[in-house]
Amino acid sequence: MAQGTGGEKRERWRPPRGRHRLPPEVIARSQRERLLDAAVRVAAEKGYGPMTLSDLTREAGVSRTTFYELFDDKEACFLAAYDRAAEALVRRVATAFESEGEWPKRARAGLAALLEELAEEPDVARMALVDFGAAGPAAQRRHRAVLQRLTPFFDEGRDYAPGGRNLPANTSRMAIGAVAGLIGDALAEERAEDLPNLLSDVLFATLVPYIGPAAATGEVGETER
Amino acid sequence: MASESRRDQILAAMIRVVGRNGYKETSVADVIEEAGTSRTTFYKHFEDKHECFLAAYDMLVEQVFAEVVAKCDGAEPWLERVEKGLGTIVRLFALDPELARTAVVEVAAAGADARRRHWNAVARFTQYLEDGRELSGGEELPENISLLSAGAASGLIFDELLAGRAEQLPQLLPDLVFAMLVPYIGPSAAAEEMRRTAKAA
Repeated sequence: MAQGTGGEKRERWRPPRGRHRLPPEVIARSQRERLLDAAVRVAAEKGYGPMTLSDLTREAGVSRTTFYELFDDKEACFLAAYDRAAEALVRRVATAFESEGEWPKRARAGLAALLEELAEEPDVARMALVDFGAAGPAAQRRHRAVLQRLTPFFDEGRDYAPGGRNLPANTSRMAIGAVAGLIGDALAEERAEDLPNLLSDVLFATLVPYIGPAAATGEVGETER
Repeated sequence: MASESRRDQILAAMIRVVGRNGYKETSVADVIEEAGTSRTTFYKHFEDKHECFLAAYDMLVEQVFAEVVAKCDGAEPWLERVEKGLGTIVRLFALDPELARTAVVEVAAAGADARRRHWNAVARFTQYLEDGRELSGGEELPENISLLSAGAASGLIFDELLAGRAEQLPQLLPDLVFAMLVPYIGPSAAAEEMRRTAKAA
């Protein structure tokens, strides 16, 4: 496939060619960002396994030498791309979550932000929830670590729900597993653009272990109005 | 049939080797060595490693499912079936950590076809447990409810296996029962079942 060699269509800023006065850190930074973009795009297009170093350098328009100045190998580059995406995702979810008052409303806002982000960035979504499996144990551990960072948003349900303190310690992990399962299922079926429609289901999945099916259904109904 | 059993040996070897070394790291050479067979025999039965893995995975799912069904008599109340079914799986996984890792963790590394198989297996298992559910009319539960209780339980199992704690899985049974039941019956009733399971263990 000869596509992806020209850089004209890319939105990300690139330093001018030839002689210029940009400090080397700026150049390296932009090269690094381009490589991370490339990792996301190529992994989404052909999968992590078949992705080669040449794919990355070609997509990013950098040399092999530059690649090795920035990363040890393909896995390191992929993991860095994963971290960057995770950081952006967690931040967006947190901002949405904090914008509301009561926990069910906060959860709704956070989950809506999560689904929107993943729907807008289907390549990132695939990487975060599907391809991490192919990238081996290091990526899988990272994936779990990101889910861990989302735990506090779920566990506020403990303070909100009557008797919430008596719930099993693993309650947030269960809720997160349910949400990740629903999203992963939609992504596996290539339905990233439909993700926002999952809001009712993921909200129910989040609320139900804390407040039970009747109250969770009630909250879901309210958000649909 | 001799060649039939040869094929099964290769499949069983694939499950063990992948569980031990990971899917990515597993080569056809590793599998034939484990199976004590030749390369020629391998390629007589399978196109490549991936095709062999998918066949091995199908076999694994049938084995696990058969175990679960054998432990349930089909007449037990729904709550009991959930507990028995989950209990069967965690004990099986604890006895055979290699199989467990292949079934739950490594399958994610084996491509989209494999992941779909994994997900179908989880859905089938949940469906089986759910079949025993008494429908208390008038409930407006989400259509996806079995998918989400499955996701909750399999997330916990995945975490344990990733951390290399297959042997400790049976201790997680009460939590798994809670995870599976809570979307249907709510936290206080599910916690009740969780305590009952813990006591019975």
